[in-house]
Amino acid sequence: MAGFIRKFTKLEKALKERYSKERDPWGLEPSRAINDLKVIWPFYKYYFDVRIHDKDRVKEGSPYMVVSNHTGQIPIDGLLICTAFATELDHPRILRPLVERFLTSLPFLGRWSSESGAVLGDRVNCMNLLKRGESVLIFPEGVKGIAKESKDHYKLQRFTKGFLRMALASKVEILPIAVVGAEEFFPYVMHFKKIAKFLSLPALPLSLNVFPLPSPVDIYIGEPYMLPAELSAEALDEELEPHIMALEKQIEQMTQVGLLKRRTMTQRLNI
Amino acid sequence: MSKKILIIGIQGAMAKITAEILIQSRSDIQIIGVDSRPIENMPNRPQIKAQQIKYNRTNFEKLFREHQFESVLHLGRLGHSPAMGNIHKRIDINLVGTNTILELAQKFQTKKVVILSTHHVYGALPDNPMFLKEDAPLRASFKYAELRDVVEMDQMCTNWMWKNQNQIETIVLRPSNIIGPQIKNNITQYLKTPYAPLPMDYNPMFQFIHEFDMATMIVNAMEKFTTGIYNVTGDDVISLHEAAEIIGVKKILVPIIAVEQLAKFLTPVWKFPLYMLDYVKFPSTLDNSELKKILGPDTFRFSAKEALELLK
Repeated sequence: MAGFIRKFTKLEKALKERYSKERDPWGLEPSRAINDLKVIWPFYKYYFDVRIHDKDRVKEGSPYMVVSNHTGQIPIDGLLICTAFATELDHPRILRPLVERFLTSLPFLGRWSSESGAVLGDRVNCMNLLKRGESVLIFPEGVKGIAKESKDHYKLQRFTKGFLRMALASKVEILPIAVVGAEEFFPYVMHFKKIAKFLSLPALPLSLNVFPLPSPVDIYIGEPYMLPAELSAEALDEELEPHIMALEKQIEQMTQVGLLKRRTMTQRLNI
Repeated sequence: MSKKILIIGIQGAMAKITAEILIQSRSDIQIIGVDSRPIENMPNRPQIKAQQIKYNRTNFEKLFREHQFESVLHLGRLGHSPAMGNIHKRIDINLVGTNTILELAQKFQTKKVVILSTHHVYGALPDNPMFLKEDAPLRASFKYAELRDVVEMDQMCTNWMWKNQNQIETIVLRPSNIIGPQIKNNITQYLKTPYAPLPMDYNPMFQFIHEFDMATMIVNAMEKFTTGIYNVTGDDVISLHEAAEIIGVKKILVPIIAVEQLAKFLTPVWKFPLYMLDYVKFPSTLDNSELKKILGPDTFRFSAKEALELLK
């Protein structure tokens, strides 16, 4: 309990310093975000038993473009990464996940997500966030990454290039992240792509379990990826391709190492 | 010889405040104000001559012929409350009328035309980024056909502006939500409603500009701006719920779907345009960097919070 109080006191202080002078234009309500995190934290800690590795790689004050693999059918991985950055770092921060427009259009959920820090995934928004010194969370695999059938679990999908151009334009460091353990939330999944398209949904996964299983999660923070200073944000796709591949490779390797050290649900539950 | 300014829509609160600021800032000025509505409560100033006219080519031509206008301030766009008449009347005034005014201004060698458009032209959509720049697509009429004359008027003015930029300076202003004790637009009336129905399921970000600041910006546009489109807003952004709290209205929290039904039901007495409901669901906020390039930072007298507090 003392740890819980300490974490949230530190977070409150950090958010007060950051947002008391200037209101966040994307609708983040720091007190609301803290209250939400207080609710999420017991699930983060005791249900998903999240461990964060190499958190010292996140330097105080630097804005980052946090780039992660995307797994687990529904974006719980994003929620856990944001919770880790808000509660586990020495200098906690609210990561700003860039989300699908589908989410921002939803009643209640859209409001809750923006008041908790989420922002519509759009280049203008991303550039403005980075300019203001915010750190953004991006899943460059998009919906293809999260909405995978069981046979494709942990197979990294191709990254889109937009995020790299924004990193080049803003000169913000890319911080690679690998999340291991989230694919096991929903171990058996089927996808109904045509029905999802008909209903204008980003994806329609059907799983045996409705509630995510208590799979232990590991979040690995990689070495910041350095982009060459001479590379322009308007460079040709071919010039960006080696960097996309290098980032994919870095996250893939982090995931594979994580999978080797993975804690299984049976170990955790002592079955 | 005094300089003559034509203000179209002089009966509106914004036009009256603008006229007052113009008179205070320049002694050698004569304002000819016209409106299709009856002229009432006009400030008692010798520099203002206001008259009710029917907005047609003959009347405007007569005005331009009789006076050598230095500038024209077109503040007479019709809004969308059902009280403002049917769509045919709005199209006639907003499109045909504006086109006539632009043509005549050029024909009679007016130096500058300032047109008051609105941020509504960008539309309120769930995929709008924050801080829309002037070159963002105008998507307001995608969903609501009733907004098409607002978008078309803006587009007509900007097309005309670039085509004729060597002959006449034209400035299109797209302000955020103008609020104040005198102005009677939809957002001010909504926020001043003693029991404002607020969506419990949405809380979009808003920008507000005080009517005095907006009038000052119109005068600035006339005196300092060069041909172009300018978003007009301050730096601060406030959520709708916070705005209601600052004013101190008694909030009635309702799901937006119920608000939509309620507004439809109450339209005959409440006269609330339904498209406005999208503006209380999704953001339509403006980037003000073009404005700042000319006027620098700290352009406005009132912050959004102060403007809201003055509505109490």
